[in-house]
Amino acid sequence: MKISKKIIDNLKKGGVDFYLSVPCKLLANMIDILEKDKDVYYSAVPREEEGMGICAGAYLGNKFPCIMMQNTGIGNSVNAIVSLLQLYQMPIVFLISYRGTPGEPVGAQGGMAKITEDILQMLRIPMLHCSSENDLEKISTFSKHAKVVESPVAILCDFNLMKDDK
Amino acid sequence: MNRFDLLNKIQNILKDNLVICNIGLPSQELYKINDQPNFFYMLGSMGLSSSIGLGLSLSQNKNVVSIDGDGSVLMNMNTLATIGNRAPSNYTLLIIDNGSYGSTGDQRTFTDENTSLKDVAIGAGCKNVVECSGDETVNELSKAIDDQNNSYVIISKINSGNVKIDPIPLNPITIRDRFRKFIGIVKYL
Repeated sequence: MKISKKIIDNLKKGGVDFYLSVPCKLLANMIDILEKDKDVYYSAVPREEEGMGICAGAYLGNKFPCIMMQNTGIGNSVNAIVSLLQLYQMPIVFLISYRGTPGEPVGAQGGMAKITEDILQMLRIPMLHCSSENDLEKISTFSKHAKVVESPVAILCDFNLMKDDK
Repeated sequence: MNRFDLLNKIQNILKDNLVICNIGLPSQELYKINDQPNFFYMLGSMGLSSSIGLGLSLSQNKNVVSIDGDGSVLMNMNTLATIGNRAPSNYTLLIIDNGSYGSTGDQRTFTDENTSLKDVAIGAGCKNVVECSGDETVNELSKAIDDQNNSYVIISKINSGNVKIDPIPLNPITIRDRFRKFIGIVKYL
């Protein structure tokens, strides 16, 4: 819970006040925290691409949105990222549980893991890769950066960082 | 009645509301009929008009109308479940259902065969789902917007067919900023 709490605290410190998630085991604690948090909006959504649309609308209405998802969700959302979020220069934070990184027990997750950073790089999306607790301190500044550059940004949280966060 | 006729009929109702308009011909036709700063024209991301409008209605208090099409809703049907569970009372989804992919050459969609978006929306949990003719849409849309206590999904059954029209000349940041200025967020324009 310590790691998850730190991530949410830092996102909130960075101004993020609207959260969506497509669930992941590694995001479960953060979802629990957000469901009880009365200061921010939180909802589950069935699919990441749709979440990109909802985040875009929330940004138009003056929220600072974050969508939480597995890295697989980036694959589901490429067109929405390019032809909506980037076309209209919308600051949205992607908080990504980085499945398929070392520690991952499910071999099939390795495929998307191998290309996740390549996709983000190709899309020119700024990345913050969190592999240790110290990295989490950078989240608030990095989130604010999304607003400054008017761009979606991606925070990747490694499997091993999240897995023991009981 | 086709989409252009319908948009002409409802333009006065849209005047004071925030409108998210679907990519392609719907946006181009609305732009040609009567361009307004409170119209957010989609230039990409087919399927997401309903979702963008939902996010907008959750984040501020003005009335929001998402103008969507049958082809686009078929592409992003999961969002009807989100709308069915989360839409606030300032949200109206207007699905212009002409049974065809108008912007790509009027190929038939499945609503022209076995699929009923009304039944899908009800099954997804949406409240106040109304299916009506193009002529009835003016009245149904007014009622939906005026009702401060409920969200609506209106499926307007019209004929296919398009008018000859040019792409929207506005750039995306202009669309974004004048829309946010109308809401009262952007002060620098």
